[in-house]
Amino acid sequence: MVKAYDRGFRALDGIDLRIDQGEFVAVTGPSGCGKSTMLHLIAALDTPTSGAVLVDGKDLRSVHDLSAYRRNYVGLVFQLHNLLPNQPVLANVEVVMFGTHRSAHERRARALDLLARVDLAGREHRLPAQLSGGERQRVAIARALANEPKLLLADEPTGSLDSVSARHVLELFQSFHAEGMTVVLVTHDHGIAAAADRIVEMRDGRIIGGVARTGTAATVPAVGPA
Amino acid sequence: MAFGRFLLRGLWAKKARSLGLTFAITFAVMTVVTLEVTSSGLEQSAAAVVTIGKADFTVAQKGVNDLLSSSIDRGELARLRAVPGVQRAIGVLVATERINAANPVFIEIGINPADLAAFGVTVVAGHPFAPTATDQVMLGWRAASNLGLHVGSRFHADGTWNTVTGIYSTGNSFGDSAAMFPLPAVQGYNRLPGTVTLAFVKDDPGVSVHTVTARVDHELPELTTIQTASQFGRADLNLVYLRAAVTGSTILAIVIGAVIVGNTMLLSLFERTRELGLLRAVGWTRRRVVGLLVGESLVLAILGAAVGVGLSFAVTALLERLPALVGILHANYTTSAFIRALATAVGMTILGSLYPSVRAALLVPLRALNYD
Repeated sequence: MVKAYDRGFRALDGIDLRIDQGEFVAVTGPSGCGKSTMLHLIAALDTPTSGAVLVDGKDLRSVHDLSAYRRNYVGLVFQLHNLLPNQPVLANVEVVMFGTHRSAHERRARALDLLARVDLAGREHRLPAQLSGGERQRVAIARALANEPKLLLADEPTGSLDSVSARHVLELFQSFHAEGMTVVLVTHDHGIAAAADRIVEMRDGRIIGGVARTGTAATVPAVGPA
Repeated sequence: MAFGRFLLRGLWAKKARSLGLTFAITFAVMTVVTLEVTSSGLEQSAAAVVTIGKADFTVAQKGVNDLLSSSIDRGELARLRAVPGVQRAIGVLVATERINAANPVFIEIGINPADLAAFGVTVVAGHPFAPTATDQVMLGWRAASNLGLHVGSRFHADGTWNTVTGIYSTGNSFGDSAAMFPLPAVQGYNRLPGTVTLAFVKDDPGVSVHTVTARVDHELPELTTIQTASQFGRADLNLVYLRAAVTGSTILAIVIGAVIVGNTMLLSLFERTRELGLLRAVGWTRRRVVGLLVGESLVLAILGAAVGVGLSFAVTALLERLPALVGILHANYTTSAFIRALATAVGMTILGSLYPSVRAALLVPLRALNYD
């Protein structure tokens, strides 16, 4: 894939990456290397200038309802949480379930389950401003998981957290991965990346290397420019 | 959490914006409803005169500015009576006079006493006036009660002191709040000899009113027939102008309100770009984002309509007490006023939220998320 912006700047300069179902992949590299851009393309928040994102073999350009893809297939966690400041924790988790088949009762039950899962039981009526940074990130993770996505995408999820909170968040990702979820985590922190099955190293919009930590043949990364 | 609750919480969180929008809607609705109920009241008061007599329809001069300026002479009245299907046509002269501060527009009706029964007048006390008397009057029972007069009292009107010979009832509040004089006396005082303002027509049994009115309209083209208050504009151009002014003011209020709503929503859109971008990023459809914005506006529209109607009650009550309008302005709260209130609120909200909603729908999630 290539993603070019105005004046010819290439955020992604010909990358080819395959991520298998159930993998936990960490994408690392210095700031501006294209990690987040790649994540945004996978999340269908942006489109590649050339090339394609194939999900389950289907080109995202041919997906008619990208909202449904983002809602049902992908769970997104941002570095700065991106919670709705005026809505309580519970509503912040439920918000992604509007427009799904779940009733209001089911949405509430699901949100409460997830909040318990991320150790936020009892905090459902608080506003984001009343939570610590780590707690807010865990709300964001609960929200990302609300529609049982197949793919969890996290963009620097521990970037603004202290080490204890960061460890807690990482453990959550590991537990979801252990349950079979595909996790793609963008981080510039090699300590965090070390928790993944596979580390993909990027620089200047290209994949420059990769390490398979638990690798089988299937998880060995495609390395280097296409 | 239900979507509605989510929406309400968003409104509550932005109280200043919500209040600003509600105020704009309230003001527009209050203006529209107040204009509607007061103009409708004026219209009803003016048109009430044609509902006094027990007639199938009323005839007046066509195209006058004010119904009380209508003039039907003896010859026209005779031709009207000769129209096939007309059983009788009672000519009355209607005038107004300031009696006191509480009765600035007191209605005086000149009528021949022989026509009283046919006109639907029942004398409930005393007796009718003499046909050519110049100092006798009958008061409607409401007027007598309001003025504190009874049979034998003296009542100054029509330029002279009159003796109250009787108290009458018509079964019509407007008629019962008036006074009746011998027709020649009112014609003389108003210097309109041989002239009446209106003719109240009763048809022959078995003849359709439509047929007779069509004949009258054909044979007396200088006159017009009125069956209902809504046809009143045929004989009173002031009401036509009034209706046009109300419609124009309503449109203006809606446009101004819509501009305020649109401006506030657009500012709100800039303020909420990141939030809306996030909602799109986590899978909200364009339709749902638009639904959120329009839903918020509609909630405020309904709130604004309710407050606007309430305020219009208060404003109208104040207007009715203004010395210059006492006895003239009577608010008439009709269903159409409330429908117009709701239509105004919803109309201006939809109009105002159209452009901001389209812009919100077209937000690119990633760009919106990075918006500063």
